[in-house]
Amino acid sequence: MAILEEPIKGVPKIKNYVDGEWVESKGEVMDVVNPLTCETIAQVGISTREEIDDAIQAAKEAYVDWRRTPPVARCRYLLRLGQLLEENFEELSRVQTQEHGKTIDESRGETRRGIENVEVACGIPTLMQGASAEDIASGIDEYLMRVPLGVFGIISPFNFPFMIPLWSAPYAVATGNTVVIKPTEQCPISQSKLAELVDEAGFPPGVWNVVNGEKTVVNGMLEHPDIKGITFVGSTPTGRDVIFPKCGATGKRSIVQCGASNMMVVMPDCNVRGTVPALMTSFFGNAGQRCLAGQNLIVVGEDDGFYNEFMEAVTATAKEIIIGNGLDESVQMGPVKDVQKKERILGYIESGLKDGATLRLDGRKPNVVGGYPDTCFLGPTIMENVRPEMRVVTEEIFGPTMGVIRTKDLDEAIQICNDNPYHNADAIFTSSGKDARKFQYEVNCGSIGINIGIVAPMAFFPFSGMSGSFYGILHTQGKEAVRFFTESKVCIHRWI
Amino acid sequence: MKLQTTAETISFVKELEEKSAKFYEDVFRKYSKDEDVLLTFAGENKKYFTQIQRAYYSVISDAIEGCYAFKLNSDDYEFETALAEDATYSDALAKAIEIEEKILDFYHVAAYQSMSLMADIPRNFKIVAKKRKNRIPTLESLG
Repeated sequence: MAILEEPIKGVPKIKNYVDGEWVESKGEVMDVVNPLTCETIAQVGISTREEIDDAIQAAKEAYVDWRRTPPVARCRYLLRLGQLLEENFEELSRVQTQEHGKTIDESRGETRRGIENVEVACGIPTLMQGASAEDIASGIDEYLMRVPLGVFGIISPFNFPFMIPLWSAPYAVATGNTVVIKPTEQCPISQSKLAELVDEAGFPPGVWNVVNGEKTVVNGMLEHPDIKGITFVGSTPTGRDVIFPKCGATGKRSIVQCGASNMMVVMPDCNVRGTVPALMTSFFGNAGQRCLAGQNLIVVGEDDGFYNEFMEAVTATAKEIIIGNGLDESVQMGPVKDVQKKERILGYIESGLKDGATLRLDGRKPNVVGGYPDTCFLGPTIMENVRPEMRVVTEEIFGPTMGVIRTKDLDEAIQICNDNPYHNADAIFTSSGKDARKFQYEVNCGSIGINIGIVAPMAFFPFSGMSGSFYGILHTQGKEAVRFFTESKVCIHRWI
Repeated sequence: MKLQTTAETISFVKELEEKSAKFYEDVFRKYSKDEDVLLTFAGENKKYFTQIQRAYYSVISDAIEGCYAFKLNSDDYEFETALAEDATYSDALAKAIEIEEKILDFYHVAAYQSMSLMADIPRNFKIVAKKRKNRIPTLESLG
């Protein structure tokens, strides 16, 4: 198959989008690197405190008129944006591949899931309706309205550079708030392209702002009194120790979505033919760089025959995964985002081996098709004899690794799931409804998969998560996002 | 060549449909017969690809096994479109039937293999297969 054309040409300078204008940052400039070739494909300014303050001010001023714009009119901007996203679907997807490294199927999937959030937010005239009760006392009625709050900050990670801000932004603006998005400085191009379409859709200046940068921008959001709330997706240490407490201290509401070490539990009665590809997607999709990825495979039962046969099927399939340029449509796995991330993953593999794990499949020296440098590439790695207390289980690896644990029964597997410090998304593969129900009932985590390797909630369901993987109360996406971006205002009235 | 990802399978659909459309256009150009059938088929091919591609873009999800959905071999569905200098119209129609059978076979297998993807993808493979199936008796009736 031919390699698809790269959409990013030359080395564009990625600007901030503030108050409806494209503004070059006065801060330092950082290279945006394509992990496939390790070449610089863009440059991005690292914004200053003054620049984030300016964006928040613009958003605050835009809020005054925007909240008065009827919800049905606000939706029309989103409908136009949705149309433009469809028209630019392929380019947006290829940008993600070029700046992140993921395969084109994965990028198109990311684009689609991002658009779905815009579509769901278009239902806001219904979604943000309140409630009323007549005659709560004689001649007195009470009603509840959902009202916007002001300016929200959206801080997003590198692994889904296009989609993740769309878990929040469409709901925030549909409900009448204004937003300042801080894309990851490692992959800022997707959000810049999205902002171009926001601009084309005609959103009023200041409603949707994008400020590129690092910690200064994050701190600027956290410390600014006009930011009413923050949605964050990133690592657990940052979310737990910085974002969540700081939001609490400054009275901001927050959705803090963090790391994971998800368990994929395989029962001996699973459908092996269907389970193996689901596990490939789970463990090695997006090169393992997602909070819904499987990190640990728990094979239940003491039947060595099943274990060996199953692991043989898993290993044989993983071994054949085609690694290379994500714009080559035959490629099944791209590189990890950068050398530092690769080194970190390699460190975890070493740690696992030191702790007693053994290698069933060694992905440290991958075969990259197309003659690209292997600088950022890793192949699928499968480690056996893994125990629940090892760092490769208790910490998030965020790479294409599978740690295999064996348990005598389902109870032990559930115990391992529940004892893990992360509680994001665990799954069971079985043909037994009884075991599936037991797993769904007893495992404490935000999302449960039954014969599904990536438990990615659709846009009309909350992107859930529990302790260790999530801090806050409400989640992004769907109705919970609508609740998060609105305050409940109650009015009780009597006409005397 | 192996086809494993959804992206490359959809591109292969494009290749099949364009190649067979060109074949029908060439046959009409060479023999100037049955314009209503041959050029209609060529036009339908473009629509079939659009239909499949639209289904793909509408439901592709990184959460489903898009990169591992297929175990196809494109060689199984390759077909020759060149006609010999002295080929008769009947020879051309016989070749057209062969091509249709290959493509039909591809759609049936692709529909079966993509059952784990969102339902729209196998459904549209089946719909196109069903529509194309009617071509064979039509081609047999010509000449």
